[in-house]
Amino acid sequence: MTEAVHTGMAANILNYVFPNDLHVHWSLMIVLYPYITGIIAGAFIVSSLYHVFKVQDLKPVSRYSLLFALAFLACATWPLLNHLGHPERNWEMLITPNPTSAMAGFGYIYSLYAILLIFEVLFIYRPTMVALKAQSTGKLKTLYNILTFGSEDLSPRSIALDKKIIAFLAAVGIPMACILHGYVGFIFGAVKARPLWSSPLMPVIFLLSASVSGIAGVIFSYVLIQKYKGRPVDSKCVITLSKFLWGAFIICFTFEMLEIFQHSYLKTHHWDMIHGLLWGPLKTSFWRMQVGICSLIPLFLLGILIIFKVREKAFVFFATIASGLLLLQVLLMRWNVVIGGQLMSRSSRGFTTFHPAFFEKEGILPAILIMAAPLVILWLLGKIMPMWEDNQPSTEPTTRT
Amino acid sequence: MKDVKAAINKDRREFVKKVLRGSIAGSLFLVLPMGGEGSIQIPEQIPGIRGKEYDMSKQRFAFIVDITRCIGCGSCCVADKREYDVPDGHYRTWVERYIKDFDDNVYVDCPNGGLDGYQKPRTDIPGKIRDTFFVPKLCNMCERPSCVQVCPVGATFKTPDGFVLIDKDYCVGCAYCIQACPYSARFLNPKTKTADKCTWCYHRVRKGLLPVCVHVCPAKARKFGDLNDPESEVSKILASPEVITVLKPDMGNHPALYYKGLRREVV
Amino acid sequence: MQSYNTHVKRIVLLLAIMALVGYGAKKVLTPSTFGEYGHYRGAAIEKEANRPLKHMTNYSCKSCHAFEWEIHEYGKHKTISCEFCHGPYANHVKDGKYVGRLPVKKGLEIKTLCIRCHNKEIKARPKDVIKTIKMPDHLKSQHVREDHICNQCHHVHAPLRYINRAKKVLGLLTGKEAGNEGR
Ligand code: HEC
Ligand code: HEC
Ligand code: HEC
Ligand code: HEC
Repeated sequence: MTEAVHTGMAANILNYVFPNDLHVHWSLMIVLYPYITGIIAGAFIVSSLYHVFKVQDLKPVSRYSLLFALAFLACATWPLLNHLGHPERNWEMLITPNPTSAMAGFGYIYSLYAILLIFEVLFIYRPTMVALKAQSTGKLKTLYNILTFGSEDLSPRSIALDKKIIAFLAAVGIPMACILHGYVGFIFGAVKARPLWSSPLMPVIFLLSASVSGIAGVIFSYVLIQKYKGRPVDSKCVITLSKFLWGAFIICFTFEMLEIFQHSYLKTHHWDMIHGLLWGPLKTSFWRMQVGICSLIPLFLLGILIIFKVREKAFVFFATIASGLLLLQVLLMRWNVVIGGQLMSRSSRGFTTFHPAFFEKEGILPAILIMAAPLVILWLLGKIMPMWEDNQPSTEPTTRT
Repeated sequence: MKDVKAAINKDRREFVKKVLRGSIAGSLFLVLPMGGEGSIQIPEQIPGIRGKEYDMSKQRFAFIVDITRCIGCGSCCVADKREYDVPDGHYRTWVERYIKDFDDNVYVDCPNGGLDGYQKPRTDIPGKIRDTFFVPKLCNMCERPSCVQVCPVGATFKTPDGFVLIDKDYCVGCAYCIQACPYSARFLNPKTKTADKCTWCYHRVRKGLLPVCVHVCPAKARKFGDLNDPESEVSKILASPEVITVLKPDMGNHPALYYKGLRREVV
Repeated sequence: MQSYNTHVKRIVLLLAIMALVGYGAKKVLTPSTFGEYGHYRGAAIEKEANRPLKHMTNYSCKSCHAFEWEIHEYGKHKTISCEFCHGPYANHVKDGKYVGRLPVKKGLEIKTLCIRCHNKEIKARPKDVIKTIKMPDHLKSQHVREDHICNQCHHVHAPLRYINRAKKVLGLLTGKEAGNEGR
């Protein structure tokens, strides 16, 4: 905001940032935290589409998406713990959660969700793991024994019970996933001191972008893994996923833009600051990257793929590109919301700056490590729980995965 | 004061214990030892706190900043930094300078939080200056504090006597309160790695002394006092027809920090 | 013996144990004074109340610096804290004993100190609160060289002490001020 306004109308000019606002307290780690929880919620929804809504096309990724969610779930608290000034006191969140705090519930919601997800995986995999237990020896056998709770009963009655429990867990899991991630949005939406955050739309936008990132993550990684392993990609599955992705993203993007349109139309004193932010420090990361490259391109790309008749091979190729861009879009959206919100000083008169360093405690390197960890965990999970239809133990031994 | 002396004489150990438990207001520093024998008493600055049990539920304090008196010397900032060893770049209290020109442009600055005072006038202002004034800022001690609302573990809280304090042995350092404070009064102390902010010098008030910024203010621009005492300066100001406002009233936090003569440009 | 729902029973048992352990941990780990007044540790209030003082009041200097204190207390600068110009009590005296030196400003530092409050160029200094001067006009009007330091004419602790005294000698002091013994 360098252009001085000399018209006498409420002119608040020249950067003044409150001295305590110069520092951005929620940095990269808090950008990753909603990103990771979003991926968890979104991937879970993919698996529920199959398990609850019986979208048969999604069978090839029904197990994979669950493990995908589980792998990210295992790491969801890492950025938070790394961010805390006193990570060793984290148990206080569970011991004395403050009922009025929008953050205190996270410990409980997260734990409940983790329990639910773990048991859903265990129930779904029980027949598989019983078979694997029979094939394996030593430590692996003990592990399978624990994971199946020492039960080898695969009688129809037992399987029917499992089926019921799976359906229940998957059904309960949908509202839970919505709560988990809508809640993360509320953590931001509930901060009245930050005009960019305090909006009832925040939980909705977070939830929708969570679905987008989850579905996009599943498509992207599924196609890449299959290509890498030299296995055929189930294009019907990718097409169906892409349709869901497109739908979710249309609503998500609409709400994101609505939020800004609303501000720009109301033109309250907040708009001066939000305008200054979006056309100032966030010009590149918001308009050029998040909206321009990572929203509009995949929006049209997916639209063209879905509306027009496109060869399956081309569909899969472009859908993967669109998914990759959308994964980036959601990350950028988290960045622009979390960092952008803090760049505006509460003096309503200026913006601070933020440049993450590479080797800091909350810098770029830890962020990369934390984002890589779920992939490693996923790979490890794949070792004990075969995630693809074609390598279930009934057809061939486990060693291949 | 008499009863305290009597208490000391009666049973020194018991007295010290009581002081440590805080059940006798105004702890050891009521009486300053004088190297060896003898001692001096520091007169109390807030009448009516010492010499009796401090009942937290019966206290009401208010802080008033008089914009029309502040000279921007930064004494308050210096004293505050020394009292709490505030790390550089973070501020429990700060003094802003507002300059307004005839085109209604508002220029605000606050170099180093006002720690060095304002030695020189601003030279980068093109228009003719209409008005200049200083605005000291500190914790607003809200009736409805956002920071307390959002703290996930109950490490920041409002005491029965109306002070919003931080339990730095319990704070996890998540910085949510820092985001939530509409006044940017909070910061993450890099030494303790916990949230930190102005306390209105709770430890001094409990000993009958004024908050250190109030005490050092040479211009009497900062006033602190007991609202239960109709004779206190703050009671009189609040009872007078003076225009008294708070910062960001639309936030709904209901601060106990009042401003006298605040201009509309101030946020 | 295994039946069709053995694993489910075991899982329910496991969850029950986890819930119990969690509940027990919550009971055991919750700090004892938590909830005494509200959702926080009551002990934290006393901890804050017993934070050691670093600043005292001007009166605390009196016992050892009665001379300076007397001058200061009855001069125009009585509203200024000794500790603002010199540093906090706790750095100087502990348990009634002298433990460290407080800095004393010298030369140009004194000028910077005075200008911090008395500079007329900073407009926002209400006349009824503080009298301000413009440099170097102030020195010029006194017909002295511009490198004079303020304390050559003004006593730092009671800035009008010498001046009023001089005025009294010259018979310039009238009425009320004359009674002040030139402080
Ligand atoms: C216990 C007695 C005692 C008290 C109380 C005390 N002082 Fe001192 N102060 C001393 C002594 C002893 C010296 C002399 C040290 C020396 O000459 O090196 C001194 C020296 C000083 C000096 C001069 C240092 C120098 O090097 O010339 C200043 C300034 C000073 N004190 C300020 C204060 C202020 C301000 C207070 C009140 C907050 C205070 N003192 C309270 C004992 C005291
Ligand atoms: C306006 C700032 C200011 C205040 C307020 C102030 N002093 Fe000083 N004081 C000074 C300066 C500057 C000097 C150095 C004097 C000089 O060199 O002329 C000084 C010198 C001293 C000395 C050392 C005298 C010497 O000759 O070495 C003592 C002791 C002292 N002050 C004590 C006090 C006490 C006690 C108070 C409060 C009652 C006090 N001062 C208040 C600025 C101040
Ligand atoms: C912390 C701010 C501060 C500092 C530093 C300070 N003064 Fe003052 N001074 C004041 C205030 C406030 C008054 C007015 C007190 C009153 O009128 O009650 C004052 C009054 C005076 C007066 C009397 C004006 C009058 O006619 O009433 C003189 C002279 C003076 N100061 C000179 C000095 C000198 C010389 C110094 C440097 C050693 C100095 N001051 C440092 C705040 C300060
Ligand atoms: C040569 C001696 C001398 C020096 C050096 C000097 N003053 Fe003065 N100052 C005076 C006299 C004499 C008066 C009283 C003028 C009067 O009453 O008419 C005065 C008055 C003042 C006043 C009160 C002005 C008013 O409007 O009543 C202030 C403030 C002041 N001086 C500050 C300073 C400061 C700050 C410095 C150092 C930068 C300083 N003086 C240096 C002699 C001096």
